[in-house]
Amino acid sequence: MNLVRAELERLSARRFVQLMVVLLVFAFAVTAATTLAGSHKPTASELNSARQQAVDARRSMETTHQECLDRMKDRSPTDTSEYFADCADLDPIRQERLPIAADYLPGVFSFADQAESLLSFLIAFLVLFGFLVGASYIGADLTSGGVVNLLLWRPRRLTVLTAKLGTLLGSVLVLSLLASAAYLATFWVIGQSTGLPGRLDGDFWRSLGAVHGRGLVLVLLASAVGFAIATLGRHTSAALGAAAAYAVVWELGGRLVLEIIDVRRSDQLMLSSYIGAWLSGESRFFDPRLCAGTSGTGYCSGLYTLTWAPALLVLLGLTGGLTAAAFAVFRRRDLI
Amino acid sequence: MSAVIEIEGLRKTFHSLRSGRRVAVDGFDLLVEAGQVHGFLGPNGSGKTTTLRALLGLVRADSGRMTVLGEPSPELLPRVAGQVGAIVESPQFFGNFTGHRTLRLLARAGGVPVSRVDEVLDLVGLHDRGDDRVKGYSLGMKQRLAVASALLKDPRLLILDEPANGLDPAGIREMRDLMRSLAANGVTVLVSSHILGEIQLICDHVTIISRGRRVAAGPVDEVLAGYDRHEYLVRVTEPERAAELLHAADLTAVVDGEALVVSGVSDPTVVSRVLGEQGLWVSELTPLRPDLESVFLELTGAYEHRSVPRQVDDSSLPHDEAVIDLDRGVDA
Repeated sequence: MNLVRAELERLSARRFVQLMVVLLVFAFAVTAATTLAGSHKPTASELNSARQQAVDARRSMETTHQECLDRMKDRSPTDTSEYFADCADLDPIRQERLPIAADYLPGVFSFADQAESLLSFLIAFLVLFGFLVGASYIGADLTSGGVVNLLLWRPRRLTVLTAKLGTLLGSVLVLSLLASAAYLATFWVIGQSTGLPGRLDGDFWRSLGAVHGRGLVLVLLASAVGFAIATLGRHTSAALGAAAAYAVVWELGGRLVLEIIDVRRSDQLMLSSYIGAWLSGESRFFDPRLCAGTSGTGYCSGLYTLTWAPALLVLLGLTGGLTAAAFAVFRRRDLI
Repeated sequence: MSAVIEIEGLRKTFHSLRSGRRVAVDGFDLLVEAGQVHGFLGPNGSGKTTTLRALLGLVRADSGRMTVLGEPSPELLPRVAGQVGAIVESPQFFGNFTGHRTLRLLARAGGVPVSRVDEVLDLVGLHDRGDDRVKGYSLGMKQRLAVASALLKDPRLLILDEPANGLDPAGIREMRDLMRSLAANGVTVLVSSHILGEIQLICDHVTIISRGRRVAAGPVDEVLAGYDRHEYLVRVTEPERAAELLHAADLTAVVDGEALVVSGVSDPTVVSRVLGEQGLWVSELTPLRPDLESVFLELTGAYEHRSVPRQVDDSSLPHDEAVIDLDRGVDA
């Protein structure tokens, strides 16, 4: 416990951590200020007009769907000229969301509508924060001799590294929870005072909670990966270099090569696909071969789905593997 | 006396793609007994720091047996770590922390009462600068802070690697006094240093390492006595004639400027008698005792090739017949 307290003090005193927190607060303040400046409380006539436009839009969707069904009923079996081969895609009930009044209120901030995208921005920042802080926390300590100093006091390598990783993950989690609570509360207040709160029912909070939970898991995984790579490479720059190299060489270059040589479902080989699938619950990718047998006989979207469960497995496997390797190497390494 | 540090047959080889295989420590032995202030000497790159790092579990030894305060190291080092204060080379501290905060964190991590921080800052002369940031410290002040960190635990064994690095003359003297006072209070001190005069002043025992092997070990006086050639500096009016007279009396005399260096003298009165009988009156007769520096340089081969810059790997290997171990006798 003493070790964790000492590590907590060291972590919080790091200039880089303080700088990242200041950046987070700054980004938060700029976003809140611009939202506040660009929003106003809608008047009764604006609200009435927006409600009417939403009703019209929903009615239009229903009409389009019905027209599609009618055309499908009347067409000949050999006619494949219709653009919308499957009317189910137009069914309003199957849409992710239907038009609502807030969609027709320009210059009015709606908390219910925008909370998820705002939270996604915060999570993206926290992922970057976790990765960089995780890498610099151990990387700087390894290069400066701080770890050696500590080991002279507590000559138990795995205990020391575990305390460091635990302190990092605990601190990042607490900071993420506090930041997201403050962030959402601020925008909720903006929605209440100079915009619209929107429909904040159980579904909304459940959906927002799910995004938040998945985001926090990703933040913790990114922190652990940064920590592990910097431990393996002995330097903060090892983690930064590995991340940059992966992004450029594999996600950009590798993707291009895989497309050229026509590798099937190359998206499955990209970490970004799993990150996207984990964050959004599922991701869809195009596979032209899915439609190979259906040409001319019916509609084929050519999409396959990556769900959150395998995505989480891949992310956990990668993080666990890197962390285990970091501990194994650190246990036997000569600290010079 | 009980052994506080025992190292037997320590061997460590470093491998790297760039420089290949390099033997840093090659079957090294070290014995430090309770209450000693033990000097650990060796040229740059001779394996001193690697030995200390291996002893403290920072470097994995290829082979050899080590114990610290009776416990095998590094396996059971955690059992006694609370009684061992150590600095290895110049430790780097977090520049944004104050000296006080640096020590407080270490004290907290090691379960030492935080009240001890002020005591050790006072001991190393940093009491008034404890609230300054470490990045503003001079090299000598950082070194004092490092020693303070080693003293925090109130250790039974203190291992100091180059503690005088960067210290000014007053600081070196204070460090010497500190070590003496610690030794007087029963703390065993193992200190490595390049400042041989300091080692001679503060250490009662010494071990000299060269190219990873021990070349001498034992009480300082006895190590020095082993290299005493019984030489005397003699000043007379006619040194050349005096040399001839001393040769005739079976003594070896070499003219050195206006004086003579006479060696193999078991009784210095012989010199003055031989010369006096021939009317040459001795104005100075000074014994030339070896100091630690000359013994160190001779043992590590640093005297050779004075006209050529000496490289760090040019140190001598121990002579087969003359590994001096005055604690255990002479190794073959």
